[in-house]
Amino acid sequence: MSKCSGDKQVKAKNCDPCSPPSVDCCSSAVTTEQNDSPTLWFENMIDNCYDYAIDAKSNSRPIVGIMCEYAPRELIMAAGGVPVCLCGGSAKTIPAAEDYLPANLCPLIKSTFGYHITKTNPFLEMADLVVAETTCDGKKKMFELMAETKAVHLMELPQKQDDSEAFEHWVTEIHKLKAELETRFDVQITPEKIREASRIMNRERNLRRGLAGLMKADAPPLTGRQLLNFKSIISGIPTDLEKYEEAAEILRSHSRNGDMSSRVRVLLTGVPVVHGAERVVDIIEESGGLIVCMENCTGLKPILEDVDLNAADPIRALAKKYFHIHCAVMTRNTRRIDYLRALTAEYRAECVIDLVWQACVTYDIESYQVRRLAEQELHVPYLRIETDYSPSDSARIAVRVEALFETLRSSYRTGQPCRK
Amino acid sequence: MIAVGVDAGSRAIKIVLMDSDTRSILATGLVKQGVNSDELTSHLLDCLLNECALNRDDIGYVVATGYARNRISIADTTITEITCHACGVHHVVPDARTVVEIGGQDSKFLHLDPTGAVHDFAMNDRCAAGTGRFLEVVSERLGVGLEDLGQMSARSSNPAVISSMCIVFAETEIIGLLSAGAAPEDIVAGVQNAIVTRVASMAGRSITPPVVFTGGVALVPGMSQALERLIGQSVTVAPNPQMTGALGAAILASKQA
Repeated sequence: MSKCSGDKQVKAKNCDPCSPPSVDCCSSAVTTEQNDSPTLWFENMIDNCYDYAIDAKSNSRPIVGIMCEYAPRELIMAAGGVPVCLCGGSAKTIPAAEDYLPANLCPLIKSTFGYHITKTNPFLEMADLVVAETTCDGKKKMFELMAETKAVHLMELPQKQDDSEAFEHWVTEIHKLKAELETRFDVQITPEKIREASRIMNRERNLRRGLAGLMKADAPPLTGRQLLNFKSIISGIPTDLEKYEEAAEILRSHSRNGDMSSRVRVLLTGVPVVHGAERVVDIIEESGGLIVCMENCTGLKPILEDVDLNAADPIRALAKKYFHIHCAVMTRNTRRIDYLRALTAEYRAECVIDLVWQACVTYDIESYQVRRLAEQELHVPYLRIETDYSPSDSARIAVRVEALFETLRSSYRTGQPCRK
Repeated sequence: MIAVGVDAGSRAIKIVLMDSDTRSILATGLVKQGVNSDELTSHLLDCLLNECALNRDDIGYVVATGYARNRISIADTTITEITCHACGVHHVVPDARTVVEIGGQDSKFLHLDPTGAVHDFAMNDRCAAGTGRFLEVVSERLGVGLEDLGQMSARSSNPAVISSMCIVFAETEIIGLLSAGAAPEDIVAGVQNAIVTRVASMAGRSITPPVVFTGGVALVPGMSQALERLIGQSVTVAPNPQMTGALGAAILASKQA
């Protein structure tokens, strides 16, 4: 829905032909841009990452693909590798994937695999290794097929978050990944290298938390969609870190944007909104909403906690940080409910919108608990949107989102609590 | 001044003209939806104004709703069908607490608070199985008019079980039932049950009475009875059910005029 993205020339031509990085020409929030502005820098994120990866590759640094926030990026970085996120956000690669995978499968998995089949994701093509996890059954079985033609290392992710034996198993899995990286790339991953990588990643997470925190204001200086653009599929790029810092400085000095304070404050939870699949975000913000908090894997979820740099064993410190990620595959996933409760208050969200990709069983089922939390405990309206990457239901989604906002506004007008 | 409500739906465009001060309905009109909803709307509006010896200068405010609401150039603003149907039904049945609306391609379940404001709602997603379009496909397949469906289903002694949630598959299922010798009456009754089951599943477990049935499908004989049987509560068909969306839009317009 970014109206002018069609004119954008993408250097990494093969990367995502149907969803080039968006150019937010229609935004009212961030207006003054110089050529080196952070906004423009992240608009060229795919190109920047492409240049960075090509450069790294020519310096014999391995490119390591990841497809899940549970992949410990620090370990890849400590091995001298470049961790790059391969999650597919394009509907165009799905038909090719469906020659191998069932139609009734999450679009993110199909899109990613479709890029593999059509060889159209340059990052996947140049990856020396893909680090996979048993996050969900769909990914797990897809990785089996990917492993037929690509080097894949599978980590078994335990799913009982509060079980000490499950945690010990996860520590073992991280040790196995370390051994795989060391053997494959002929390097030694020292504790100091892990600490250094953790320091970089902590800084990146801290800077991104700072940007996200700007949305707590009554009239935030940017939209949720603009915030979503401040990300990179490769972690730890030094220029990215500088630009995050610069963006926060510029945005903090922005004057209050009155338009923002009249919008409905939305907490978006559920599945990740990966690059190219931002349709629902656009619908929400074009219907008068402002996504003040994105509690998902492309928002706050993976950056809420840092790695303890002072821990005696940096591997265990890494394991702890990653094992705490509150994905719906965890059982019981009480951390998600606790975070949703805290974030709704912190960001003063007026409603909760829960996005579920079609056939994502764990998020689909967990939406029951999220609805119950929103309606019965937090007393904010809840809307669940189940969709995939095809735009055919955009009009219907817009009706439901607009009706949600109308309901909220009318309850304000009459001074009644929206839901009791 | 007059207030105008336009409901540009998937199968028909409906317009209500209302006196902004007295809230009395001056005229209502309906035209079949076509390629250019904006032109069709303008034409229908001019016909209605003409009937009432009014012209466009008399219009204070226009609210458009329905799936084509964003294409209506005369509209001052747009409001969703959910809010408009709630408002329209509350106007004609003030104590309504639950509204079931089935239109050409949408079906909705609205839960109203005692003041008529929308408390909660559910709506179909991509699939049009629980909608008027489903009935049209069936009546075409069986070669009977929509208006005859009620009489047919009333004669059914053993409603067929239509398990498919998808119109396309349901049509295949109907062909299978016909070739297996099922009576058309039983198929029609089965389809009507399938539609209300689909819609009622959106409501969850609690349905607060009184229940009002609206939208074009409420006009199809047999549908309200099928809904009553399924939810085990009496169902009131809204007066002029095709018009409640446009009526709600007109009322909301009159608040602006």
